[in-house]
Parts: sequence; C-alpha cells; structure tokens
Amino acid sequence: MQRAAKSTSRLLRRFWRGLREWCGDAAYERYLRSKGRQSSSSRPLTPAEFYVEQLNRRYSRPNRCC
Amino acid sequence: MKRVFGIVGWIVVAALGAGALGSIALHRGEPLNATWFVVAAVCCYLVAYRLYSAFVAAKVLTLDDTRATPCERHDDGRDFVPTNKWVLFGHHFAAIAGPGPLVGPTLAAQFGYLPGTLWLIAGAAFAGCVQDFVILFCSIRRDGKSIGQMAREEVSERGGFIAQLAVLAIMTILLAVIGLVVVNALKSSPWATFTLAMTIPIALLLGLYLRFVRPGRVLEASVMGVALVLFVVVAGQWVADSPSWARVFTLSGVALAFAIIAYGFAASALPVWLLLAPRDYLSAFIKAGAIFSLAAGILFVRPQVLMPPLTRFIDGTGPVFAGKIFPFCFITIACGAISGFHSLISSGTTPKMILRESHARFIGYGAMLLESFVGVMAMVAACAMPPGVYFAINSPPSIVGGAGDAAARTISGWGYPLQAQTMTDLAHKVGEITLWNRAGGAPSLAVGMAQIFSSTIGGERLLSIWYHFAIMFEALFILTVLDAGTRVGRFMVQDLGGRFWKPFGRTGWMPGVLLSSAVIVALWGYFLYQGVVDPLGGINSLWPLFGISNQLLAAVALVVATTILMKMGRLRWIWVTLLPMAWLVTITMTASYQKIFDANPRIGFLAYAKALAAQIAAGTIPAEKIAETHRLIFNQRLDAAVTGVLAIMILVLIVEALAHWYSILSRRKESQLHESPYIATRWAPDFSGTAHGDD
Repeated sequence: MQRAAKSTSRLLRRFWRGLREWCGDAAYERYLRSKGRQSSSSRPLTPAEFYVEQLNRRYSRPNRCC
Repeated sequence: MKRVFGIVGWIVVAALGAGALGSIALHRGEPLNATWFVVAAVCCYLVAYRLYSAFVAAKVLTLDDTRATPCERHDDGRDFVPTNKWVLFGHHFAAIAGPGPLVGPTLAAQFGYLPGTLWLIAGAAFAGCVQDFVILFCSIRRDGKSIGQMAREEVSERGGFIAQLAVLAIMTILLAVIGLVVVNALKSSPWATFTLAMTIPIALLLGLYLRFVRPGRVLEASVMGVALVLFVVVAGQWVADSPSWARVFTLSGVALAFAIIAYGFAASALPVWLLLAPRDYLSAFIKAGAIFSLAAGILFVRPQVLMPPLTRFIDGTGPVFAGKIFPFCFITIACGAISGFHSLISSGTTPKMILRESHARFIGYGAMLLESFVGVMAMVAACAMPPGVYFAINSPPSIVGGAGDAAARTISGWGYPLQAQTMTDLAHKVGEITLWNRAGGAPSLAVGMAQIFSSTIGGERLLSIWYHFAIMFEALFILTVLDAGTRVGRFMVQDLGGRFWKPFGRTGWMPGVLLSSAVIVALWGYFLYQGVVDPLGGINSLWPLFGISNQLLAAVALVVATTILMKMGRLRWIWVTLLPMAWLVTITMTASYQKIFDANPRIGFLAYAKALAAQIAAGTIPAEKIAETHRLIFNQRLDAAVTGVLAIMILVLIVEALAHWYSILSRRKESQLHESPYIATRWAPDFSGTAHGDD
C-alpha cells in the first residue's frame, strides 16, 4: 500500500514537472540553470525580461501549424 | 520465451488491425460502429511504429545516440534546451496539430467514410510520419537548420529560394482558408461570435498578468484563462437570448471577414506578449483537453457511423467541393495524412531541443501518428450524423437551392433522406439560428462532437453548450494559427523587403512593422474576402488551393530528404522518401491541372471564368451585378495563376533536384554533405533531460 502511494506520488510529481516544462512555466528556472552552467559573467535576465525576450524569439518563426 | 510472447503479441495486434480494416472496407448495409475505426487505426499505427519506423530508424537513417545533439552542443537555456522526450513530444504535437486534420477529413467525408479513412491511416504511416521523422533527423544533424536552409545547401541556391517563396505563398493561402472556416462557423451566430470575441479581452488580461504581475507564470494564468473562456461559452447563451445583444453579435460573412482581418493586423503589430502569446496558451490547453475528450467520448459512446462507405459523389459532382476521389480526396485530407507545413516545425524548434537522435523516431514519427488519429476521430464525428444533415450543413445554397424544403428535397433526391424540420429542430437544439449552408467543416464537426459529448454528459439539455464549446475550441485554435502565421508572414515580408531597402528589414522599426503587417494581412485578406463573396462557397476554391500548396511543400521537403539520403550513400533505401514524393507530385500536379484547365466550371478556375463571361455576354446577369461578376472572373483567373505559379515552382525545384541527383550518381560532381561534425555526447545513457539536476 505504502509502495503504491509512493509510486503514485512520484508519478504525479513527474507529471507536474512535465506539465510545467510543456507549457513554459518552468522556462525561467531552466534558463537560470543553464546560465549557471555557463562561465559567462553577464547579469542574468530578470523573469520579466526573459519572458518577453523568449516570446519575441518564439513567435518570429513558424511555431504553429495547419 | 519473452521474445516469443512479443512476436505473438504483435501478430495478434496486426491480425486485429487487419480484421478491423476489413470490416470497415467490406461492411455494407447496417450502420457500422465507430469502435472499428478506433481499433483499425490504433492497431495499424502500432504496427507501423513498431516495424516501419524502426526500419527507417535503423536502416535508412542509422540513428546514432553516441552523437551529441544540437541542444548539448549549444545549450543556451533559450533555443537550445535539452528536453525530456515526453515533454518534447507534447511540444511538437501541440505545434503540428492545427485545424487541418479536423476540417480536411470532415470535408472529405462527402466521398463516404472509406477513402478518407484509408488515406488517413496509410498516408500517415508511409508518407506523413516519414517526412516529419526524416526532416527532423536531417535538421538535428545540421544544428537545427530550417527546411529552406537545407534546400539551399543540399539541393541548390535556387532550391532554397523556391522553398522560401513556397512557404510564403502557402502561408498566405492557409491563413485565408482558415479565416474562411472561422467566418462560416460564426456567420449569423451571436452565441459563437460573442464567445470568440470575448477570448480577446481574456487574452489581453492574461497578457498583462503574465507581463507585469507574475512574469512567465503560464500555468496559473492559463488555468484562470480557461475558466474564463468556459464561462463565456455559457454566457454566450444569455447574449443569444437577449434580442438587443444578439443583434450586436449577429454579423454577416463580410463583416466577420473584416473583423478577422483587423484582428490579424493587430496581433501582428502589437507586442507579442500582449495578445498573441496568451491566446496561444489558452488554445494549447483547450486543444489538448478537447482532443482527449473527443477520443474518450468516441470510446465511451461508440456512435454508429451513418455515412455509407462510398457516396455517389465519388464521380466528382460533390456539393461540398467538386472533383473526383483522385486526386481531390488526397488534396482535401491534407494535414491528417501528410502536411508540408510540418517540415517547418520539424526543422524549427524541435531539433534544437531533442536530447538524443533516437528520440526523433518517437517525436517525429509518433506525433504525426497521433495527428492522423485526430483526423480519424474527426472523420468519425462527421460520419456519425445522418448523411442528409451532413450535406445540408456543408453544401452552399447555389448547389442545394437555398435552405428549407427546396434544399431538403434536393438532398433527399441524392438518396440521403432529409426533412427541413430536422434541420430546424437541430439548429434550435444547438442554439443556432440556422445550420443550413454552413460550409467549412467547423459547424458539422461541432455538431458531431456535440452529439458525442452530450451522449456522455448532459444529454440533449447540454447539446447547445457542447456545440458552442466545440465551435469555440475550433475557432480559438484556428485564430491562434492565423495570428501566429500572420506574424511569421510579417517577418518573411520584412526579410524580403529588407533586401531592397535596409530599414524595412529591421523588426523593431515601427513603420516597417506596420507596413509589413499590412502587406501580409492584405495578401491573405484578399483571398479571404474573395472566398466569402464567392457564390459557389469559397471552400470549393480555397480548400483545394490550400491542399495543393500544402502537399507541394511536402514534396519540397521530400525532395530535400531524398537528396540528403542519396548524399549519405543510402541509395538502396531512397524509395522510403522517393515513393511518397512521387505520389505527392502526381496528385498535386493532377489537381493543379484540373483546377486550372478542367472544363467543368465547378472544378476549373478558367472554365468558371469563361462561363461567367458568357453569362455577361448573353445578358443573363442583371446590370447591378455586372461589376461584381467581373470581379469574380478576375478572382478565378487569379486563382488559376496562383495554382500555376505554385506548380511551376515545384517543377523547377524537381528538375533542379533531378539534375543534382544525376550529377551525384554519375559522379560528375562530388557529393558534399553539410552535416555538423561528429562530437561524442558527454551525457550518461540514462540522462532523461527534464532539466539538469532534476533527475
């Protein structure tokens, strides 16, 4: 019973993380992690700056289909 | 032992699929249960994925997981992002799934359920999925380069330029035709018009919230947005019931066309965070929810398919659009079986996020199988209503003789019994003024979906709510394609214009933004307006034009894929892309020829122009309609010219490719492959890549 509850909770956590990744909710966290891995000393973008920059890039190329 | 069980299991799946397909193909007489469609499609997809895609992955492409993908080499947390394969599958599917697989099969149902269903399944397995998979692979090996760049590098400079022009032309026609589908869905419907109009202030609200209150918190904003959208679906009924408000939201086709044109311009010129992106978030969630609900609804209700396997309209006299099964069934189905537009996505965002080469099989091939399944569900929804009702909704008044008793008699005369009262009752039940002559696919699909949903939850009492939910779902994500497409079109226009006048190419220069937005909107807006005022129903002209251009782009993608396979030395396997390419060239060229030159005015653009000119000469057109008729004649000739130019562009590309292939095969020219150099991956084999540090 406990094992089933544990695996359900793990599954739900994975689903939640996947959902946040899919819809873009986790994009800023991902950007910060990537920034942390790079050796660049430039200031990371703020959440608002990153959000607008990311949207401008995403919607300048085909990203929705017929 | 395990292997034996595996083999036996796959034999059972294959036998089940073959049996279900046989039932669909050979069934006559009593209505068939929709479960057969689901079983046939799912089993065929499983077998195709297990065998054919594995063969393409192993033998044709020889995917290599030891090779670092673009996201590992260029990881920047923005474009190049290592992404879990399930998450990327969701991204890719959300990007490729548009209105095409819903509308195309619904329109193709006029031939009966059989031709469309067979092409949806076989076309996806052997052509559409292969195209998406191979192009994704080629782009991964080239740091995520676009199809245009690959055409330029691997085929020729001219090939790349043609591909770029083809994309712009296709975008223009696509935006016009999907705009027309929305117009026909909202025409004279205050409920649906109100609901869709309200999604704009909701999106603006979300845009402000995501920009200034909680930047980037997409999930919570989307939950609020979806709740508000569902509320306005219900509130639409109050608007429709109020005579004064209903008048405000009851718009003619022309008024709606201008409203959509104005919206497209605004979405292209305004900051992307304000309107376009939040609408896209709403649309993505509602699209995913509606598609899964439809699948669950079909499985739960198991509706009877009332449409016969083949109708009398296989002879080319169909009321929805004219033309025989070959080539028009294939042209009409379009995206549900193969879509050239997918090659833009497969060579766009996805290759920059893919973790391993082997994931390309699941994402490229698998997502297209799912899209094809959406097409099969749309076919089931359209065919689950009585054929008489289907033809009443989808036929233009000039074919069925208007609406009411006269139209019911015409349709009954075709062998599909219908009483005018049935349409009146149905319109009343779904909360519409009328359902006659609502060509475009969206209203008939919404009726089909509403009947399936209401059989699951709410019964007839909720039929009107479900109908308007379905209309809102279709219109919402059609407009998302329209606004995103207009914006991308604007960038293409700026890119082209910037070659002649530098400042025009600057994407932040406001006069350039406004002018380029006006140009792209004027281009598709012209075709949209022309479709709205066309007496034959614009769908008859515009949908085949869209299908032809979309399939031509697929032919371009397969030409590029074949060239790359040849350069990779996979000559033995090039039939994998060469055969679908040859098939696409055959159907698009036949359809182009017929649309231009066929003597039947309902098929041939020039014949229709000639017939109209003859009517003017004979004095049968009233004086006040002569100017309008001259405009119609011009539009028909313009459509013929556009079709001709598209066909010629592709023929030039093919000749170019053939010459290139000849020089490679005869070793006159050294074949140079433009792949990125091999770099070994540093990631552990079990790295699943949701985010570094999470797993």
